[in-house]
Amino acid sequence: MPDGVGIELAEQFSSARQQKETGELGMWVFLLTELMLFSTLFVSALILRMLHPGAVTAAALHLKMWIGGLNTAVLITSSFFMSLAIELSRAGRTSPMRLCMVVTAGLGVLFLCLKGYEYYRDYAEHMTPFFAWRPYGLLGDPASRLFVDLYYVITSLHAVHLTIGIGLVMTMQHLARAPGFLSRHANRIAITGLYWHFIDLIWIIVYPTLYVLNR
Amino acid sequence: MSELVLRDAPPPVATIGRPETYLNDGQTIRSWLFTTDHKRIGVLYLISITFFFIIGAIAAGLIRLALVVPDGSILTNDIYNKLFTLHGVIMVWFFLVPSIPNVLGNFLLPIMIGAKDVAFPRLNLLSWYIFMGAAVFELFVLIAGGVDTGWTFYTPLSTIYSNSWVIPAVLGVIVVGFSSILTGVNFITTVHTMRAPGMTWFRMPLFVWSMYATSLILVLATPVLTMAMVLLFYERAFGIGVFDPGAGGDPVMFQHLFWFYSHPVVYVMVLPGMGVMSELVTAFAYKRVFGYTFIAYSSMAIAAIGFFVWGHHMFFNGISEYSGMSFSLLSFAVAVPSAIKVYNWAATIHKGEIRLATPMLYAMGWIALFVVGGITGLFLASLGIDAHVHDTYFVVAHFHYIMVGATVLAFLGGIHYWWPKITGKMYPEFWGRVSALFMFVGFNMTFAPQFVLGYLGMPRRYHTYPPQFQFLNILSSAGATVLAAAYLFPLAYLLWSIRYGRDAPPNPWDARGLEWTIPSPPPPHNFEEVPVVDFEPYDYPNRIPEA
Repeated sequence: MPDGVGIELAEQFSSARQQKETGELGMWVFLLTELMLFSTLFVSALILRMLHPGAVTAAALHLKMWIGGLNTAVLITSSFFMSLAIELSRAGRTSPMRLCMVVTAGLGVLFLCLKGYEYYRDYAEHMTPFFAWRPYGLLGDPASRLFVDLYYVITSLHAVHLTIGIGLVMTMQHLARAPGFLSRHANRIAITGLYWHFIDLIWIIVYPTLYVLNR
Repeated sequence: MSELVLRDAPPPVATIGRPETYLNDGQTIRSWLFTTDHKRIGVLYLISITFFFIIGAIAAGLIRLALVVPDGSILTNDIYNKLFTLHGVIMVWFFLVPSIPNVLGNFLLPIMIGAKDVAFPRLNLLSWYIFMGAAVFELFVLIAGGVDTGWTFYTPLSTIYSNSWVIPAVLGVIVVGFSSILTGVNFITTVHTMRAPGMTWFRMPLFVWSMYATSLILVLATPVLTMAMVLLFYERAFGIGVFDPGAGGDPVMFQHLFWFYSHPVVYVMVLPGMGVMSELVTAFAYKRVFGYTFIAYSSMAIAAIGFFVWGHHMFFNGISEYSGMSFSLLSFAVAVPSAIKVYNWAATIHKGEIRLATPMLYAMGWIALFVVGGITGLFLASLGIDAHVHDTYFVVAHFHYIMVGATVLAFLGGIHYWWPKITGKMYPEFWGRVSALFMFVGFNMTFAPQFVLGYLGMPRRYHTYPPQFQFLNILSSAGATVLAAAYLFPLAYLLWSIRYGRDAPPNPWDARGLEWTIPSPPPPHNFEEVPVVDFEPYDYPNRIPEA
């Protein structure tokens, strides 16, 4: 490792290498549970599609495919900047690394803004079946309501994860201001990156499952 | 326990020459509540789950009391339903799932692989706080309001028809899941990266293998339950009817998701027990374990196959004939690795230098009860027989043989075996043997009649029954009182031993394994220096006893 990059040993470990591997493996295992969490929802959505193909397609045609597509591009770009930040952290270059992380988080915020605009458009089109006081726009088969509800459940859970991710990335880049941060906690950037890439990956599954597959 | 916590710090002079242990390394309540020492967290879990076990056991006692009379005149229907839900929820999520992993696993896993602590000590403490938060909340919900759906929360009863406190109860179950997940993440990472030099995978004690398999299940299955419960919550609270056929959903899907978690979690309850068994049997047969690799791999096989058998809870819920047959076949397949273990333990005991100390008595009781529980499981996995006995007391008896017979006996056997290590004190051997005997007799008296009742057609969850079933029900209730005595004995004499027991040597059983190479109780960081493992597991001398 270059100068100024390293890990401050916690007392339960006997080497920096062990500590680094442990941190990364721990995050991987945690992400495995997250994957199972989202998989339950994906399976629910797919089963609904098998049970009621007509109603699901009718509802899915009202999803804003171009916003979803744009958001996919935004998140993939953000992952690129996160990868760049990880590479820079390994090289010990704090300032450009922090810049990349700010860009990453900024793209995350852009995603949330686009998603918010999409929710607003959905609301304007009366696609909010869970509001009892607002008439639902797509009448007919009740399964279309359920599909739209599931769309909110899945995308909002993803948005919660993304918000946590933005908080994590911003916190890390803030902590990295301290002199010598990378010489003590270089591994934390890579671990944060793993989580960020994972949220990106989940969206890459959400987008086809909800938007593309049902057309 | 609390005596140790509350006792004043001794004057400085008295500490000279006294070995530093994890117990006297700080004696304030604060030093316990903010500890990151895996051993202290194990002890915190021991105290907490004992409390919740007592609550769940009292509920069970009241259920058995109500069933003494056939007309249901002792408790109202409503109270009865709430009691068996409380019993199920508390026992499953707040006792059985955390019992062996979080108490013995926390205490022993790092020591057994030669580590100073688990991989993420603070996460470990957080897991306990999440557990306690969820547990206290759940207990309040179940006692103040009550839930009448049973621990399975089946829809549409839980979403439409029940008027009880389903929503908060579901939230408590969701939160306690995070505690399981954090423990699972911690253990998997610990086993992968924290092993001492020379501690290869196939030198790990079999208890560690079983904890590893258990953690895989916790990590992969728990989030599915979390999401099923979240969807149930949405349906009840906001009418998002994923499980409501009127809204285009499917109630059977709830059962699929629920059992996708809850069947693997049965193995979360029994695999740690199997791990404890491997330790007890080898130590008290004083012999190398027979077929080490087979036992290790069978733990992994049980964890893996366990994910593909959930449908056997749903044979008569409208799943297709072919999925019924597949799930039946796969359920039979799980019996293979389970049987491998039992045969291996039997072969280990064969021609060993057997010592019938308390832990061994528990272990032998375990084998007997597990074999009965396992074989009746095969009855239930057969489509034809299940048509006759599903949803009867036969099922209740079967899973109590596994969960109480296997898990609780292994837990108590393990607690006795490692008690000298945990507390540094010996328990009174005579009372240990008496309670092990009471346990075996009381358990069989309680649950064996239920096999008969179920076969004769008494359904589960009912509060009233035909008068001709009364004799067997009274027998079962009488057995429950014996069982209660068998639980109270250890509670009394183990607490007694903390103060009055004689000091334990580092290795009172002359057993093998890293945990017996360090003082009892262990020092705060387990090992003076990182141990180098240059020996095989269970390297007992394998002497042939004289004929």
